[in-house]
Amino acid sequence: MNISPEKSTWFLFVQGDLNVFSSLFKGYYPILHNYGLKISENVSLTEDCLQDFFLYLYENRENLGEVNNVKSYLFVSFRRAIFKKLKKERIFTDFEEDFEFSKNFEFSPEEIAIQKEFTSLQKSTIAFILNDLSVREKEVVYLKYYSNLKTNEISDVMGISYQSVLNTLQKAFVKLRSTAEKELILAVLKG
Amino acid sequence: MEEINNPFLEKLLNDSSFRNWANNNNKNDVEFWNSWIENNPDKLDIVFTAKSIVIGISFNQKLVDKNYVNDKLNVVLNEIQQKNNRKLATPKKKSDIKAYSIVAFLTLALLAIIFVFNALNSNHINYKTGFGETLNLKLSDGTLVVLNGNSEISYEKDNPRDVTLKGEAYFKVKPIYSTHAKFWVNTSDLKVEVHGTQFNVNSRKNKTDVILDEGSIKLLLKNGENKQMMPGEFVSYSDEKITHQKINKAIKYSSWRDGTYIFNNTPLVEVMKYVEDTYGFSSEFKDPKIKELIISGGIPNENLNICLSAIQKSSGIDIIIEEDKLLISLTNNH
Repeated sequence: MNISPEKSTWFLFVQGDLNVFSSLFKGYYPILHNYGLKISENVSLTEDCLQDFFLYLYENRENLGEVNNVKSYLFVSFRRAIFKKLKKERIFTDFEEDFEFSKNFEFSPEEIAIQKEFTSLQKSTIAFILNDLSVREKEVVYLKYYSNLKTNEISDVMGISYQSVLNTLQKAFVKLRSTAEKELILAVLKG
Repeated sequence: MEEINNPFLEKLLNDSSFRNWANNNNKNDVEFWNSWIENNPDKLDIVFTAKSIVIGISFNQKLVDKNYVNDKLNVVLNEIQQKNNRKLATPKKKSDIKAYSIVAFLTLALLAIIFVFNALNSNHINYKTGFGETLNLKLSDGTLVVLNGNSEISYEKDNPRDVTLKGEAYFKVKPIYSTHAKFWVNTSDLKVEVHGTQFNVNSRKNKTDVILDEGSIKLLLKNGENKQMMPGEFVSYSDEKITHQKINKAIKYSSWRDGTYIFNNTPLVEVMKYVEDTYGFSSEFKDPKIKELIISGGIPNENLNICLSAIQKSSGIDIIIEEDKLLISLTNNH
């Protein structure tokens, strides 16, 4: 029998271990908080939702079904919870799909760290290019590099195919790369 | 521009050696992909897009403060407790002490469960290198290990100071002064026992060679004997015999770590032994005289072709690869 540390953590959580619950809470609250803010742009809604979410998890821990990957499970269910909450807030709108409820998923230039790959680009340019993507595409980029989810986890969380996650990443980076090249050529010509 | 279903991109992204190249992590992979790109200029675009995806964008995470999270946690824990209390309709106040002792007992029981779980779950960790590949490892106790090609090291997750080695590795053991915790390397022939020091272990071909660079170590041999080693000493042990001597300066034994074998007036037959071990070939000398050719200088050990051409150039011989054999003959000067 081979039990992963993740499975044993979850097992203890389901048994009702409050220490394990607390460490899950401490480990995931900050990144889910951030994720919720990106989706809703609303601090109090996000925090209410998080509190209810963790409480719900604990109270229904025995009926949650099989959990193989704690991280993607928490992201999926929290995402669902926050969309539900947003839906309630806007009873008069009638959107077809969940993601249409989310706000812009906007990236700010301050969030972008200095990095080696696109040195010729200003942070504001990178943010501008990223923000030009569709909401769904921005969420892919966010989950991949902000929350460090694996491609298959992103596909689980967003309910889209593995292939469309890859396509989105490709699209985003082709754009970034070609802009970076243009900027570089301009810089050389000026110099 | 959007290419749907690009299996090549997917292949690149899932290839660990490609990711190593993108992150500039492993010399072998970097060299491999650099030359691959040179030979496949038509794939340049997709390769660099894949590289960008691997490297990605780094974000400054603006996360909520720890204390803030703890406050929020306490709110939730209080709520949980209140609900539990409501369920366990409490008749007397005196039972509080009892309740606390029950909680304490349950906590202990859970800790015991965690402990048993970890014990059951004693994760076996295993690293293996292919031919011509070296791997830098840092164990959880801070010890640094460089694993040479065609080698394997394993240990239990909760005990990184007791490792088992097949093949060759260089160890830089982190001393733990407070407890004087020992570090062991097990091979099929012997056990190396150390506190904190630097040494090379090579266990191939039914024997184990140990070379000590620094500090002192003790060898617990399979035949029950113990052997203390001093820096600069070399011990070779197999079932039948033991050699204990000062290091033969002709061969810089541990130089493989830096990607080069350094030889100093070493006979070709000895040099070829290193090539055999690292790349898994056997060598065949067309003329026994060739074995005694003397080689000096550094031979790169990361790439078989580079390695062989360096040997050929420095000694005036031809090496032909035939399946898993290296056929060695004198260069014909027509």
